[in-house]
Amino acid sequence: MEIKKISRISMLLALSVVLNILESFIPLFNGIIPGFKLGLANIVILLVIYTYSFKDALLISLLRVFLVGILRTGLFSMSFFFSLGGSIISIIVMYLAKKITKLSIIGVSIMGSVSHTLGQIIVAIIFYNINMIYYTAWALLLSLPTGILVGYLTKEIKKTLDLSIKW
Amino acid sequence: MNKSDIKLIIIIILIAIIVLSMIAILNDNSNKQALVYYDNKLVLTIDLSETEKKEYLVDGYNGVVKIIALDGKIKVDEEDSPLHLCSKQGFIEHSYETIVCLPNKVVIKIVSSKDNDLDTILR
Repeated sequence: MEIKKISRISMLLALSVVLNILESFIPLFNGIIPGFKLGLANIVILLVIYTYSFKDALLISLLRVFLVGILRTGLFSMSFFFSLGGSIISIIVMYLAKKITKLSIIGVSIMGSVSHTLGQIIVAIIFYNINMIYYTAWALLLSLPTGILVGYLTKEIKKTLDLSIKW
Repeated sequence: MNKSDIKLIIIIILIAIIVLSMIAILNDNSNKQALVYYDNKLVLTIDLSETEKKEYLVDGYNGVVKIIALDGKIKVDEEDSPLHLCSKQGFIEHSYETIVCLPNKVVIKIVSSKDNDLDTILR
């Protein structure tokens, strides 16, 4: 990996951690609906999938989960594993959605948001034996607006960055 | 946003509606019991058929978790955690609902007596 790419990827990683912390300050996404998050960190991941590669996105996402685990939720806690499961599944789904389907960046973001929620629910069911089928339907509906928002933001950010940065 | 994005949105809404209606059809609210788990172990079974208010104390990871059962409903009243998600969630009453207190490792499930047979034997 060349130095330019390393520094850019580490900057994006820092950005995704900051976005993760930042969104927890917005009251609506901080406990009114249990587990409901805006998912702003997904902007970074989407951007990397579109500009760099699947491998870099996976790297950033895994490092982000570990960093947020160390900084906020505690490493290897229950929420750490929820986050890990959700992130890995959502990246794979987003990559495949980008590769196979005709979805635009907004559609890919919706797929990511939905699969992130479903990934967490799968982890909850498999490892903690918590029955969350009731929760699934609402989680699906709630991931739509956040997915659309994140996708739209990513599209606009990418448009601006494409003018000034050679990826 | 292109055509396939809109198709995707419609499909997701349809799936959600189907799941919700299936839950509503399959729901059984007779002889409800609340099962309280700490660290995946059953620590308390609360009969929800009584109507008067009752308080229960369960040991959680961060300290005591106070649970209130009232009129067939159950909620976490006080617990010690950074975000207080499970006490903010309020009452639950249907047999498919759960309260999860991640920091305290406490899970409350409502089950109807029918699907509770296995737990009764194990206890």
